[in-house]
Amino acid sequence: MTDATLRSGKTLTAGLLALALSGCITSRVEDAREGMTGIEEGESIVILAKSYHLGNETEDKYINCVEDALSRGSKGLRVIPHRQFVDSLFPWFEPRTAPAETKGLPKLMERPGVAERIAEQNVRYIVWLDGDTDRVAGGGSLSCAVGPGGGGCFGFAWWQNDADYNAAVWDLKGLESAGSVTADVSGTSFLPALVVPIPLIARARASACKGLADQLRDFIIDEPEV
Amino acid sequence: MFVAGCGSNVTLDPVTIPTPLIDPMPLSVAIRIPPEFEHYVHEDEVLGREKWRIDLGRSNAALFSQLFGFMFDDVTVLGPDDDASALSIDALVEPSIDAFEFSVPSQSKTESYAVWIRYRLKVYDSAGDMYANWPLSAYGKSEQFGLTGDEPLKRAAILAMRDAAALMIMNLDKSTAISALKDRPATAVAAAEPASATQEEQAQREPRNQLPQRREVKLPPPGPVAGPAVLSMETDEEMSRETIPEGSSDD
Repeated sequence: MTDATLRSGKTLTAGLLALALSGCITSRVEDAREGMTGIEEGESIVILAKSYHLGNETEDKYINCVEDALSRGSKGLRVIPHRQFVDSLFPWFEPRTAPAETKGLPKLMERPGVAERIAEQNVRYIVWLDGDTDRVAGGGSLSCAVGPGGGGCFGFAWWQNDADYNAAVWDLKGLESAGSVTADVSGTSFLPALVVPIPLIARARASACKGLADQLRDFIIDEPEV
Repeated sequence: MFVAGCGSNVTLDPVTIPTPLIDPMPLSVAIRIPPEFEHYVHEDEVLGREKWRIDLGRSNAALFSQLFGFMFDDVTVLGPDDDASALSIDALVEPSIDAFEFSVPSQSKTESYAVWIRYRLKVYDSAGDMYANWPLSAYGKSEQFGLTGDEPLKRAAILAMRDAAALMIMNLDKSTAISALKDRPATAVAAAEPASATQEEQAQREPRNQLPQRREVKLPPPGPVAGPAVLSMETDEEMSRETIPEGSSDD
């Protein structure tokens, strides 16, 4: 058996183990289209969180995850880092000042330097993320003890996280809404312990990130079916 | 940052903001930085356990000096003892901090740090009379993600200052009508009243027959209980619209 075969065998085993040791996830990703989309060579997109002044709690971690997921792979899009974009257009995309609706875009574009900065970065779409991941349920009991002869944990605990996110896509070419993509993911994690705890984690946020990013990429590219 | 059962000292470095995309107002303005503004320190005890000491240091002075440099054609920064009477200016602005509040994850039961700062801007005309008095509340929120130690709280404070900067860019003229002070018949600019002078004293000195009515913007109380102490843009604009004298610019 060669080293390569051994390595691939180990990778497969680790993958199967990880699969077997993960919690339960249910996921629903949908889009609602309002207009035609498409993106040309050199055009870019920017991912922003809706304002926390409006009560939005979208995590930085989630925004970074969607940015990374969209820019990776053979169909990766050109993504402008959100902080770079917000700084370049200060103060018009601050949590307090960012337009809440597309009808605010024409006035925004008339402000000195705004249209030029957006054109410099060749931004075609702004994607506004809204939503968060919450722990919605949990239960069970787990106790651990340590003594002179060693220690251990006994019991069973579980918890459920719901990750609900919405991505509203604004087309800066027509200054209009192109539609939205939503991801609703529910993940239940388990932690049984018989001396050694065995975590079976359901990564709801990561799953919502991947699902939303994949759908968002298809939504924006919008290649005609052959 | 060492929190459990002890205390935390947070010191902010001077804050800078990106160059804003605005046209500066054609005004010659002086900004007077009071000592308590330049060395603002907030001390608090969270849930009766954690003692916090937050030293904003020169960050506010740096922010306001930089911001006003972007907002006006000509800006002179004055120390607390500098005499403004020799300057040929349209207006003198004196910022102060009315209140500072913050929340940490152990209070809010979230992963976020939040900071509220309530500033007050007093605007004096070229005769040294108080012309406008504008309280403004700013809010910043930061998660722990990617940050260590006291960095999330520092970032929340910086975002609150940045929020204040955005609010001033958007609404300073709407709320104070400072642009109407351009080229008003100037006598010598008297040394402005100290920040501790009461509003009633100021109002008595205000020559009502020639000055626009002083305006106040009512704000919700700051702090975690009241939620983000932030004015909605529409409310603020509507309140300002009613009180702006004719001739002031609208942005």
